[in-house]
Amino acid sequence: MTTTSQKGGYISQAWLVILLAVIYGGALAGVQTALGPIIEKNKKNETLSKVPQLVEGAARELTVEVELADADGNRQTVYQAFADDGEKTLKGWILPAGGQGFADRIEVLIGLDPDASVITGLYVLDQKETPGLGNFITDEELFLNQFAGKSANQPLEVSTTDPVVGNQIRALTGATISSDSVAKIVNRAIAAYQQPLRRERAAATERNEKKD
Amino acid sequence: MDTLITLIQIGIGAALINNFVLHYFVGICPFLGVSRRIDTAFGMGCAVTFVISIAAMLSWTFTYFILRPEAPLPAWVWQTCGGDPAVTVDLSVLSYIMYIFVIASSVQFVEMYVRKFFPPLYKSFGVFLPLITTNCAILFACLEIMKHLQEPAKLWGLHEALTLAVGGGVGFTIAITLMAGIREELDMCDVPKPLAGAGISLITAGILAMAFMGFAGVDKGIERTIGMLLQ
Amino acid sequence: MATHEPTATERFVQGILPENPVYRQLLGMCPTLAVTGAMEPAMTMAAATAFVLILANVTVSLIRGLLKPHLRILVFTLTIATFVTIADRMLAAFLYEMSKQLGPYVPLIIVNCLIISRCEICSSKQGLFTAIADGVGMSIGFALALGSIATVREILGSGKWFGLAVLPEGWPAWGIMVLPPGAFLTLGLLLGIAEWIGQSRASRANQ
Repeated sequence: MTTTSQKGGYISQAWLVILLAVIYGGALAGVQTALGPIIEKNKKNETLSKVPQLVEGAARELTVEVELADADGNRQTVYQAFADDGEKTLKGWILPAGGQGFADRIEVLIGLDPDASVITGLYVLDQKETPGLGNFITDEELFLNQFAGKSANQPLEVSTTDPVVGNQIRALTGATISSDSVAKIVNRAIAAYQQPLRRERAAATERNEKKD
Repeated sequence: MDTLITLIQIGIGAALINNFVLHYFVGICPFLGVSRRIDTAFGMGCAVTFVISIAAMLSWTFTYFILRPEAPLPAWVWQTCGGDPAVTVDLSVLSYIMYIFVIASSVQFVEMYVRKFFPPLYKSFGVFLPLITTNCAILFACLEIMKHLQEPAKLWGLHEALTLAVGGGVGFTIAITLMAGIREELDMCDVPKPLAGAGISLITAGILAMAFMGFAGVDKGIERTIGMLLQ
Repeated sequence: MATHEPTATERFVQGILPENPVYRQLLGMCPTLAVTGAMEPAMTMAAATAFVLILANVTVSLIRGLLKPHLRILVFTLTIATFVTIADRMLAAFLYEMSKQLGPYVPLIIVNCLIISRCEICSSKQGLFTAIADGVGMSIGFALALGSIATVREILGSGKWFGLAVLPEGWPAWGIMVLPPGAFLTLGLLLGIAEWIGQSRASRANQ
């Protein structure tokens, strides 16, 4: 076989692959254009649907996304929750946070009051803790409800025995590390973003006053 | 120091705590198929580690520069051709096709390398070397790296991606070699006929998986130990 | 003398039990072990695999006359990767929670040896109708396999089936069943049972 016929052979053999690549590429582009927006909406909805239960009195549809930077320059999207009372009063903040749990990463949503001094709620978005033990951190009655009302001005502590005093939360029996990880994640996030949240609230109030 | 701790956590996480075979269930086909003798098993493990590393490097590069939502190259091309700078070009829908081609190329490269420098090893591998292309473990490593390149705030660098890949490959090698050692002994045991072959291998894998569950929480311990040592 | 090519009906029936992808051919182990912790993800994975398998079979069968021998694996892989991307995006759009739960295992359908082997063995050599029958048969077989393992793991592991409680409250859930060791043990034992049924049937046929 001569080299020229081999070379011509490559293209003549590969034409099908190239044609298929173009057709499939077009199909995928079409799928992405059609389904991309729906997927984005789904991702946003995950957080937005939790707004009413994390911040009391907030309306889901009025939630606004804001990007904040902490002291180290890390950027984070937080959510402003407003009440549906005509004046759009700021009801609170939703702060996404994450960190290492016992098994894998835990992602949570922290609800805070407008001044970022009181935790109003906690929701676990994503976790892979041990089923039957660690994964009870997603249970409202057993674990999450105790976060509401805790002060955000001092770090949360974890207690393994009753009674629970001060800014302590009760760890789940058999899931001490998972409970401790959640407390650490909350503490770290609040420590990093409490001041930026307060600054943003002051800036927003100024903007509103200037408009009036 | 923080980087080093993170790298150790990723590496040990991939190798032991979240072992690719025994925790994530990827790479089962060679795990069951090639684990009859320790030397072939170890050779397969090394080949897979080699392929995973190359595939991870290539897929990180392609994902970082082309395929993630905020990639620089498509944005540059878009703007040079007069596109609106406010529109983000997102090519991530082509990720899977890109990865499988990267993997096929990596396997091809490793095949040529082994054929040139280790001919007897190449002969003993036979058809299993090209079959590494369908090894879920490699695609899984690429997918994990892609997962960590999605959010602009916490991007993984090449070092973290490579640590994950090598850690995963090492974990695969450990699992497959352990299995080969056990199976060599099992060959001399009186296994019930229905369970012979795949059945007893899977049950053994289950017990191995139970043992590896004991590694959970080790990465937090490493963090604490290194923290204490540095004080 | 040309070998007898299986007909469409034969392909269909073979795929369900005699050549069951998981129990007989031992293909597609990775999703089988990973997503069978509960029935819902297992059935979603079976549906996604069916989607990819049938469409890939159809496409390869339609272009089988144009395939060059040494580029055919490339064409198969390209086709399968495209359909898997479409399936993955559709899941993320319409079944977002399930898509998050299945995670990286949907893209891993690309390297599911089952689909490539069906393309190689059947659809690159036979007509459209046979290819579809083969795809449907294998999909039913795969769904049966996933369903059987998921049933055992979910009922023993959490007392539920499809998320509905079927065992009384007092049942202590065998957590290990939902974890990786349970997957291996269940598949190993069920494989043993399948082998035993096959072997006793064969020995009865020999008598």
